[in-house]
Amino acid sequence: MEVIGRPVKEGNIDEIAERIFHESIRILGGLKNLVEYRNLTWLPSLAEAAYVITLKNEAIKTNREIAEYLGITEQTVKKILSAKESKVMEYLKGEGEKEKEHIAGGLAKMAYRAIKEKRDNLRERIEIMEESAKSLGVEWAVHILKSIKGLDFPVEKDALLKRLKGKIMGKPIEEILDSIEYPVESPAQLLHRIREKL
Amino acid sequence: MNYQEYVYMLSDLQNKAPKIFGIPTGTKLDEMFYTVAYDERSGKYVKRPLGGIPYLSVINVTGIPDTGKSVLAEQFAVYQAARNYPVLFVTVESPAHFLYATLKQKATVMGLNFENVEKNMIIVDASQEVELRENLSALLDTMSYAIKKKNTKNVVIDSITGLYEHREVLARQIVRQIFNFLKKWNQTALLVSQKRSSQSSETAEAAGGLAVAHIVDGTIVMDKEVITSKWASTLYRKNIGEVVRTIRIDGCRLAPHSTETYVFEITDTGLIEIKEPLSKIARGGD
Repeated sequence: MEVIGRPVKEGNIDEIAERIFHESIRILGGLKNLVEYRNLTWLPSLAEAAYVITLKNEAIKTNREIAEYLGITEQTVKKILSAKESKVMEYLKGEGEKEKEHIAGGLAKMAYRAIKEKRDNLRERIEIMEESAKSLGVEWAVHILKSIKGLDFPVEKDALLKRLKGKIMGKPIEEILDSIEYPVESPAQLLHRIREKL
Repeated sequence: MNYQEYVYMLSDLQNKAPKIFGIPTGTKLDEMFYTVAYDERSGKYVKRPLGGIPYLSVINVTGIPDTGKSVLAEQFAVYQAARNYPVLFVTVESPAHFLYATLKQKATVMGLNFENVEKNMIIVDASQEVELRENLSALLDTMSYAIKKKNTKNVVIDSITGLYEHREVLARQIVRQIFNFLKKWNQTALLVSQKRSSQSSETAEAAGGLAVAHIVDGTIVMDKEVITSKWASTLYRKNIGEVVRTIRIDGCRLAPHSTETYVFEITDTGLIEIKEPLSKIARGGD
């Protein structure tokens, strides 16, 4: 009698979150068109929003569980989940609501729906997108979140050095991690501090 | 979204509709589901026992603690596996090695070949792994792996309540996803769910509470009562202090069924033995 005691495909959540991230960028007309939106402060939040939408819809987690899992506040989770898809383009043009969680949340929701309705055809494009994303330096936020999955926050430099390797926008991660303030309280704060050093 | 994909003419479904027949449980429950057939001799439609729970149905087995829900689910799993119909058993409460001992004992007292049971049963042990209990996506991925690996026909989840015990607000969403998953994989399934003791067994709440019963194909309610009054003693024909156990099918959208409440016993060897309808016992066993 065979017994399976461990999840067979643990990476599923990461995979879906990445697909949402890529699809969001596609919805905006691809990476090239992103430059039209002058204020891109919401972009790191998109990675967060992609995980929030995935954990809510695929892993059926409560808001509190999502907040704990990602190391963000329940309020942020609520903002992402309550974002209106219909208002995303208004947000991006700077009309009406401007909170980055609303922009990222609305986009991530649109992307998730597209994936579920199989409108994304993303698998075929994912490699090209990744290459383009790397060259424009916006891919790093998803990779950081993926690499630190399961890490207990607040966290010190040593723990981050064990998980994070390579470069972000040409800068060695070690160098970036040397220059940021510790302890880092949450994944969101980590992304914020890294972005400041880029 | 291609909305046309979701619109059917009734005649289009002729070849897609499953044939309804019984999947035996090894208990008298098999006679409590019916099928209706035309009897040429009498020229009338007559009901006949289906011979089990309806094929491809997802049935909720509910009741307060110690009413025999797990016993019934295990008996079904062992009976099916022994007859070479592979079973996926998702254990959320009892660790797999304890479950193994229980299943072995069941097979022995039922006179079934345990080697067959071993060969035809695959277990997902969610009792020890929080990721499997709290990340539905991980659980469903793992279940689909197990279903494909053993080509299972039946699934038992004991208990589904364990997947939302501290987050009941998500109960409907979780049950809906599991229901859709089981339909997609063409499985006949028993989902064990726990009923709060405050939910009266004769009300709609007994069918699982939290609206679980609205999602699944049918519900079996198991109950027990300790005889504490002269009135109950006379009604159930039991002595004061004894326990009377009852079972009834609360509803099933796939097949007609008995609407009576049956009395059953859990034998000394740990098997469900369904006796007579309660009405018959109350009438004096005519």
